Amino acid sequence: MLPDYDSLAPATWAEALAALAAQPDVVPIAGGTNVVVGMRAGELRGRTLMDINRLPELHGIRVSDGHVVIGGGTTVAELLASPAITEHAYPLHQAAAAFANPLVRNRATIGGNLVDASPAADTYPPLLVLDAEVELVSLHGVRWLPLDQFVLGVNQTERRPEELLRSVRWPLAPERSAGLHHKLALRKGTACSVMSAAVRVDTDQLGRCTAARIALGAVAPRPIRAHEAEQSLVGESLTEVTIRRAAQLAGQACRPIDDVRSSAAYRRRVAEVVVRRLLTAVDLELKEGAQA
Amino acid sequence: MDKPKLNIVGQETRRKDGVARVTGQEKYTPDISLPRMLHGRILSSPYAHARIRSIDARPAEEMGAVVLTWDDIPHVRYNERIITVPSVLHKDHYVLADKVRRMGEAVAAVAAETEALAEKAARAIRVEYEVLPVLLDPSEAIKDGAEPIYDTAMWGTNEIPISGNIACTRNVEEGDVDQAFAQADVIVEGRFNTQKIYHAQMETKSCVCRPEPDGGLTVWPTTQSIHNVRILLGQIFDIPLSKIHVKKVPVGGTFGSSIQMNPPIPICAALALKARRPVRLTLTREEDVHDHTRYAGEIHLKLAARRDGTLLGAEMELVGDIGAHNIQAYSYLGVSIGWLVSLYRLPNVRYHGTAVYTNKAISCAMQGFGNPQVTFAAESLIDELAEKLGMDPLELRLKNYVGLGDTFWGQGPTVRSVVLSDGVPQLLHRGAEIIGWEHRPKPGSQTGRYRRGIGLGRGFHTSSAGAPQPGDVIDFSGAMVKVNTDGSVDVVTALMDHGGGTLEAIAKLVAEELCVPLELVNLAPAETGSTMYDCVTHATRGVYAGGGAAVKAARQVRQELKETAARFLNVMPEALDLRLDKQSGQGVVYVPSIPDRRMTIQEIATRCWTESWKTIAAAVSFRPTNCPPAYVNVFVEIEVDTWTGAVRTVMAAMGSDCGTVVNPVMAAGQLEGGLNKGAGYALFETNEWNADGQVAGGGYWIDAKTAAIGETPRLADFITHFADTWEPTGPHGAKGIGEAATNPVAAAYANAIYNAIGVRFYELPITPEKILRALAAENASDPH
Repeated sequence: MLPDYDSLAPATWAEALAALAAQPDVVPIAGGTNVVVGMRAGELRGRTLMDINRLPELHGIRVSDGHVVIGGGTTVAELLASPAITEHAYPLHQAAAAFANPLVRNRATIGGNLVDASPAADTYPPLLVLDAEVELVSLHGVRWLPLDQFVLGVNQTERRPEELLRSVRWPLAPERSAGLHHKLALRKGTACSVMSAAVRVDTDQLGRCTAARIALGAVAPRPIRAHEAEQSLVGESLTEVTIRRAAQLAGQACRPIDDVRSSAAYRRRVAEVVVRRLLTAVDLELKEGAQA
Repeated sequence: MDKPKLNIVGQETRRKDGVARVTGQEKYTPDISLPRMLHGRILSSPYAHARIRSIDARPAEEMGAVVLTWDDIPHVRYNERIITVPSVLHKDHYVLADKVRRMGEAVAAVAAETEALAEKAARAIRVEYEVLPVLLDPSEAIKDGAEPIYDTAMWGTNEIPISGNIACTRNVEEGDVDQAFAQADVIVEGRFNTQKIYHAQMETKSCVCRPEPDGGLTVWPTTQSIHNVRILLGQIFDIPLSKIHVKKVPVGGTFGSSIQMNPPIPICAALALKARRPVRLTLTREEDVHDHTRYAGEIHLKLAARRDGTLLGAEMELVGDIGAHNIQAYSYLGVSIGWLVSLYRLPNVRYHGTAVYTNKAISCAMQGFGNPQVTFAAESLIDELAEKLGMDPLELRLKNYVGLGDTFWGQGPTVRSVVLSDGVPQLLHRGAEIIGWEHRPKPGSQTGRYRRGIGLGRGFHTSSAGAPQPGDVIDFSGAMVKVNTDGSVDVVTALMDHGGGTLEAIAKLVAEELCVPLELVNLAPAETGSTMYDCVTHATRGVYAGGGAAVKAARQVRQELKETAARFLNVMPEALDLRLDKQSGQGVVYVPSIPDRRMTIQEIATRCWTESWKTIAAAVSFRPTNCPPAYVNVFVEIEVDTWTGAVRTVMAAMGSDCGTVVNPVMAAGQLEGGLNKGAGYALFETNEWNADGQVAGGGYWIDAKTAAIGETPRLADFITHFADTWEPTGPHGAKGIGEAATNPVAAAYANAIYNAIGVRFYELPITPEKILRALAAENASDPH
């Protein structure tokens, strides 16, 4: 059952920011797929809920100035249906497809998923490999933060109470780049991740890796990048040996816990397997792209 | 036996409630709203084991809520499930907790004008608890010095002490077991562990109660038995049954969770009686998850066999974790040995069963009532035995299974009958052909990343708990059939439909018997006052026993139609027959030798009305005197990913011997659902408890992990098939199907995994993690 709460429904963006600045315990609510569940469990994050669904500033997916920009209120279902996301952010498309179920996808938003900052949040690994940044807006101004700096720990981010996450953006990928995402759960739909991973590899004309991104979910208190694994690939071609080494390093980067879904040991083990599988698939895709 | 030709039974038909269910127009208990209705909420215990020192209800009452505490309820100890006969029924439950024994147990309850106010009022009640040590593991609970969960319970009319937290025990010994094992050429044995899982029925438990001016009650509950709810409310509140009206409300699935009277029902009744206003009380999902699970336990099984594969005997020891209350532990211990001896001919058997209380959600029947657990153990061991003997596991099963002419006591030692229909050989051979049994790999012979295996599990469930003589299980049904003035037919039955189409089947069986089109048969709204007693819709008995009652009533109506028409037509009733005239869409009573001497059922019924004569009707009770096994076998082909431990179902072939198939598409649906639920049980579903006695995940469904549609193989890779049999004691040759469909599934998966990777698992669920651990251990011990 829900505890008592007050509600606000600002009609304009300015009104919303003013309400946040005036009352520190206002909780913005979009899809409510985390906030309401938390309230039912007795975790009241604030006494006043502010409905931000109808603010036009939070909507829209567009490609401009070499970036993809999406409003923080974009639902996961909208991501899934967007041709721009499929084309320019395929790992995010995959994560959206594996996200909960159609009912939750219709409600849950990208901004909510990022601000909630669950270690298992599905959209973090793909956005981390895409080099995404988040736009935080308050009455005091606007600031952009790389996603890797935005997230701090379990349900903790750099967002200040008076800020709203207005949009997320990332640069269009260069040529000869490919990325993929995979979510491992105990069943196919409506499931929280045991672990998830996204990888992205940029290559030069000779097929050597110029930059690599490997991000992992549900293996640490926050979604992480496996920097050593990424570095091990730079300057190398993707081969069975380099892929295996990178996957091992990615496994070592994990700091997982035992919980209801999995043991820590299993998470570390499958992280390695999943990264190896993703890098192998990315390699195949790059080679096919080179031939075409 | 020659099978009669059937006109309606066996056809694919659309279920009568289908449109209402899929368009959201069906009214379930939480949809019911009455004038002046209050909203109830339960104050649940935040502790799993505690004494209640004091309750201060004033803050809630000051908010205007009606509050129910221990002082307001009748201090009557009862058992929520009254299928076991009263003389051996254990009773340890009150309307509200005398002491808290599981997390979420109802300590108090409130009713208020809105649900929000009720919630606020419930939270305002001040309770002082004396927290006690929490016992989660049966092996801890039975230790000397363990905190007693109960001091006493009622057994029949006697108060008995409970010691060592043992709720009850049951021993069975037949033949000479020691001699059987002494003479055996081969002995196999294993300790099998199974887990508690949540039923995950769609509708949470719910109730609406209205107090009546005469001191009675009208009740709209979530239940599988309106009559047993009525009896229990009568006993608890000391109200004559004639003043208690329990309505039949469509139920949103149960999987067995509402065989017993649900805790919200008597609480809602007590609130309504105290408030003198109608009250609705619905559990949240989190409350429901803490309320009930499948029985879990350890089964130590030993089988003795001769070199030629003949089974000589078995020894079984079962320690069951029944959770915080004893709902049907005595029956559960009884059926558990029944499942074993009715799977395979075991002339010599020794069994010791122990049911242990713990501070966890209450164990109760769930799809199979102990059968999936025993079948997992037995079918795993039969495969091990086949390997030791160098026999084909399928041949070993055919050699020993309980089939035609054998004595069968699936529902426990007192429920014995003889098998009269047996499709097992057909099913096994057909399934083997579909899955490619001959081409299955040798266990442990594969080395690649992906390894495939084929596994077989066979099993059954009882159709009802019927037997020639009364035992310790109450099992009989009733039905009323009447012909309306236009020749259409009302069927009135207390049976429930949990989603499998039981009531649809009843309508078809009556239509068949009376030769009337199915659309003219109405399943009338029903309540306790308008129906004959029916024990409960469980034990895969709906079609067989409930249908048996309906056909018995319809047969009497058929006879009365003939006798009535005989007078109108001036012929002898014996000279008349009935048929469905497809041209007019009417049932016709006619004289075969004189074609124009005929009347439609409509003409007969209308004339009975306009000539002020009578309603043609029959009301009967029916006790099945047999308990035919509904056999199912399942072959699965799976693929193990040895890198992640994940198991994928590549293909499944599932065969059922349900006698006459009443509706082929719905019967296939039962098998598909059975595989799905069984696969979840086999591979990943489990409820775990943290040290405080809370379900891990807090009761949120995100971590309940019941199998969803994505876990079912594509229908192209999932073949269902049916045996060509006729059950002579069944309604138009039919037996049951429901629970049988899930009983052998976990065993089939365990056997398939062994076939793929050469590792046998004795504990469910067989998670990816356990598979990886086992493979790692194997590699470590492998000198190569």
